[in-house]
Amino acid sequence: MIITRRAVVQGLGFAVSLPLMPRLTRGQPADLITKPIPRSGEPMPVVGLGTWITFNVGDDPVLKDECAAVIAAFFEGGGRMIDSSPMYGSSQPTIGHGLRKLDYPERLFSAEKVWISDPAGGAAQIEASRGYWGVGKFDLVQVHNLVSWEEHLPALFDMKAAGQLRYVGITTSEGRRHREIERVMASQPIDFVQITYNVLDREPEDRILPLAREKGIAVIVNRPFRQGDLIRQFEDAPLPDWVAETGARNWAQFLLKFIISHPAVTCAIPATTRVDHVRENLDAARGTLPDETMRRRMVDYVEAL
Amino acid sequence: MSDWATYTLADFLMFSPRVYFRLIERYNQALWPLQLVFIAGALAVLVPAALHPSRVRIAVPSIFALAWGFCAWQFLWMRYASINWAMSYAAAAFFIQTGLLVLTALLAREPASVGGLRRYGGIGLAVFGLLAYPFIALLAGRSPASAETFGMMPDPTVATTLGAMLMVGRRTLWLLLPIPIIWCAYSGLTLWAMEDPGALAPFAVVVATLVFVAARR
Repeated sequence: MIITRRAVVQGLGFAVSLPLMPRLTRGQPADLITKPIPRSGEPMPVVGLGTWITFNVGDDPVLKDECAAVIAAFFEGGGRMIDSSPMYGSSQPTIGHGLRKLDYPERLFSAEKVWISDPAGGAAQIEASRGYWGVGKFDLVQVHNLVSWEEHLPALFDMKAAGQLRYVGITTSEGRRHREIERVMASQPIDFVQITYNVLDREPEDRILPLAREKGIAVIVNRPFRQGDLIRQFEDAPLPDWVAETGARNWAQFLLKFIISHPAVTCAIPATTRVDHVRENLDAARGTLPDETMRRRMVDYVEAL
Repeated sequence: MSDWATYTLADFLMFSPRVYFRLIERYNQALWPLQLVFIAGALAVLVPAALHPSRVRIAVPSIFALAWGFCAWQFLWMRYASINWAMSYAAAAFFIQTGLLVLTALLAREPASVGGLRRYGGIGLAVFGLLAYPFIALLAGRSPASAETFGMMPDPTVATTLGAMLMVGRRTLWLLLPIPIIWCAYSGLTLWAMEDPGALAPFAVVVATLVFVAARR
C-alpha cells in the first residue's frame, strides 16, 4: 500500500479536527462494563458522572471550559449518566455548556432532580433545569433528598406516563432517612433510588440493596469517595496486589470497583474537575469486577488500615 | 439521632475554595480601581467623624448605605449567588441594612455620648476594616487579586460599618447590629469550611464589636 502525502495530510487534518467534531463521540463502541436498568433492560455503564461542587463554577469561562473538557472525556471514554440537581448552584448551566460543545451526545443519560418544598413549583423547576441542560427531556428525574416526595412522585409518574421523562427516582445521601427510603421503595413504583454506599459505609447492604433487587429498582451510588476523603485516607497505604487481577490500578478504582461489583448497584457517580480523574474513574468500569470473596477481602483490608 | 446532627460544616459548602476565590479575583479585576474610590470615600467621612462626630452625622451612614447596597447588588446578587443560592437571601438582608442606614441618616440627631473604650475601639475596628482587611488575603496565602476591600466585599464593609457606628455613637446602634453580626458568623463559618485562615477575621470582628458595645466607658 502506497501512502501518499495527501493521505498523510488528510489523516493529520482528521486528527487535528477531532476536538472540533463532537458528533464523532456518538455511537462509539464502549468497552465499559454495563448493567441493565431493571425496569427496561437498558444497558448503563457502571460509572457515571456526578456534579456536586465540582461543576458549580458560576460564569467563570476558564472553569466552565475545564468542566466541558471533563464531560468530553467522559463521553469519549464511553460514559452515559450525568447527574445533577437544582441544589447544585450553577452545575446545571455548566453541564449545558459542556453538552452544547459536544452537540449533545446521543449516549447521554440525563439524571436530574426536583428539589422544592412547594409541590406546585415542581414542574416549573424541572422545566428550568431542562432549559439549563438544553435537552428535550430528562431520562431520569429524582426527588432530591425526599423533599415533599408524597406530592412530587405522583407528578413525576404522570410526566413519565405522558412521555416527558423516562424514569422516576428518589435520592438521599450519607445514610440519612434510610427507613423512609425503604418505605418509598416498598410502596411506590419508582425506577431508581440514589444512595451513598462505599467500602466503609455499607449499611445499605442490610436492607436497601436487597430491597432494590427484590423490587427491580436501579441503584445509583453517590459520594463513592466521601468527597475525596476516602482516597486521602488510604492513599499512603499500599494498594493490595491481589486487586490487580480486576484491573484496579489505584485507590479510586479499588473503591469504585467495590461499589459497582455489588449485584444491586447499577452505577456509581463520582464527581471530578479533572480529565485524568474522569478517565481513571471510567477505567474502573473496565476489566473485571470483584467477586464476593474478593469484596470481603477488600473490606477486611481497608478496615485493617 | 436527628438528621441535622449528621451534618458537618463541610456538607453545607457547595463550591470549592478555588471557585470562590477566583470569583473574587475576577470581580476585583472587573471593577478596578473602584476599590480605591470606596476606601478614599470612607476615609473622607471617617477621619472628620473621628475628630468631630456631630459634623458628619448624615455623611457617615450615607456612605455606608452606599457600600452595603453596592455589595448586595454587585457581589452578592450578581456574582456570589451564581455559586451559592443562599446569597439571594443574603443580598436581601444587605438591602434591608442599606435601608436601615438610610433611615439612620434621615433621622440623624446629635450622637449619643460615647465612652472612650467604645469610641477608640470603634476607630480601631473601622481602621481594621478599611485598611488592614485587604491584606488578609496575603496573610492567608492567597493571591493579592482576591483582596477584600470596603464597599466591594461584605466582610470589610461590615467591619468598617460596625467600627464607624461604635465610633460616632448612634442611638440606633442596636438596630444596625443584627444583620452584620449574622453575616460575620456565616462568612466565618464558610471560610472555616474552606480551611481558609481568613475565617478568624469575621469572628474577631463579632467579638470585638460585642466587647465594645458592652463597654460602658
